[in-house]
Amino acid sequence: MTAAAVAVPWPGCVPGSRREAAGIVDAACVRSWLGVVATRLEAERDFLTQLDAAIGDADHGVNMHRGFTAVMVRIGESEDATPGQLLKTAGRTFVSTVGGAAGPLYGTAFLQAGEALGDAASFGPRLLLDALRASLEGVQRVGAAAVGDKTMVDALSPALGAFELELRMGGAREAAAEGMRATIPLQARKGRASYLGPRSVGHQDPGATSTALMFAALEQAVLADRSQRFAAGTRRRGSGT
Amino acid sequence: MIQSVGRAARILKALGSESARLGVTELAERLGLAKATVYGLLRTLEAHQLVEQDLETGKYRLGPALLQLGNAFLDNNELRTRSLLWAEALAGRAREAVHVGVLYGPNVLLVHHVFRPDNSLQILQVGASIPWHACALGKAMVAYTDTDAQAELLAGPLPRLTGRTLTGRDALEAELAAVVGRGVAVEDQEAIVGEAGIAAALFDHRGAVVGAIGLAGPVERLLPDGPPAETVAAVKEAARGLSRELGAGRPAVPRAGA
Repeated sequence: MTAAAVAVPWPGCVPGSRREAAGIVDAACVRSWLGVVATRLEAERDFLTQLDAAIGDADHGVNMHRGFTAVMVRIGESEDATPGQLLKTAGRTFVSTVGGAAGPLYGTAFLQAGEALGDAASFGPRLLLDALRASLEGVQRVGAAAVGDKTMVDALSPALGAFELELRMGGAREAAAEGMRATIPLQARKGRASYLGPRSVGHQDPGATSTALMFAALEQAVLADRSQRFAAGTRRRGSGT
Repeated sequence: MIQSVGRAARILKALGSESARLGVTELAERLGLAKATVYGLLRTLEAHQLVEQDLETGKYRLGPALLQLGNAFLDNNELRTRSLLWAEALAGRAREAVHVGVLYGPNVLLVHHVFRPDNSLQILQVGASIPWHACALGKAMVAYTDTDAQAELLAGPLPRLTGRTLTGRDALEAELAAVVGRGVAVEDQEAIVGEAGIAAALFDHRGAVVGAIGLAGPVERLLPDGPPAETVAAVKEAARGLSRELGAGRPAVPRAGA
């Protein structure tokens, strides 16, 4: 397991470094991540609904969009100061506003991630790994799905695995997308799609698709945050002397 | 068993299980048969419109005659025909989707589905197959099936579909006893996370269970704080009325494990 030595493990830090221990994703970055997810969900709403119409009940896009719109309103009003508090607020909002399977499943994922982050003011890859593990455990407790059942676990679990190996956001995003595409030939064993038996084969799972979207958004938010800090740091140094 | 009929049936099932169309070579590989054999079978099936060939790609897909057969199967199902009015009325009264199902092996086959009357986009679930132990319709029926069949179903595979699916024999036996006590079966996110069901069994003139009718919908609406009394009453009433129409005695109260 020498994979931790891969270059650019986490934007702006090296595993084991002091910077990593201090953590670099703060509440502002989590807010911007949730914002990117909301924007992307708006753009992908019809696509997700289309996927769900083929093997589910055609509400995934609408549900996810409604949930994240509510999340953005709620965290906009809240004074949550830590990433953990923000994610717990997001989870609670999701559970209370989203019907279908998405509400309880994503709600649990966010709540568990928030719990795992505790009171930390910011977090690095190690703590993120803990949060992802807690999310996956929560989702599996509620949904009883394993990899290969054609659910969101097919994107979440490989993303966690890839991140554990390399501590690289890009790696997690790629693994989630790969897991999402790998659901196409599978026969669903969980969720409404499983009612269709062999007819669920040949369709991409909507839940795995929305999960892959969240990892892409996380990478985007963390990278944007990093380049902002970098620019701010350069300016300060330039004007300070 | 007639071999060629068996092979033709396997071709139809293979074409029915893939959304993509299949060519002769793919089918031959999948079924372990010679290409010439598969080709001959396909030509015969095509003559009866059970399969058709895509003109552009040369690949085969299921044909229009199957739709007629499928519809005939559903129409011949007396339960479905008789349930139309009762299901519609129940959906209107409870403002939720209604499912009517029959037991088909260890699964509930949905033979009728009335949409939740709220103009929202919904997908027809007729033809869906749900493991009996994970849904209200299945538990309602199995609670009243004869003891041998019940024992067989309890011994069969009981897959876990969510974190709340009852998969233990003891838990399910207690659940079936509760169904008989209450007159309705309740499902709380045991098949799909976020979804619930309330259903009651249907009986014929012999007092034998022939199906079930029930509500299916979001758990927060269907089971706000357990099943609401008026919803339970509506489901029971629909089941009683439909059973009477199917010839069940009055009152249509069956014997458990008869």
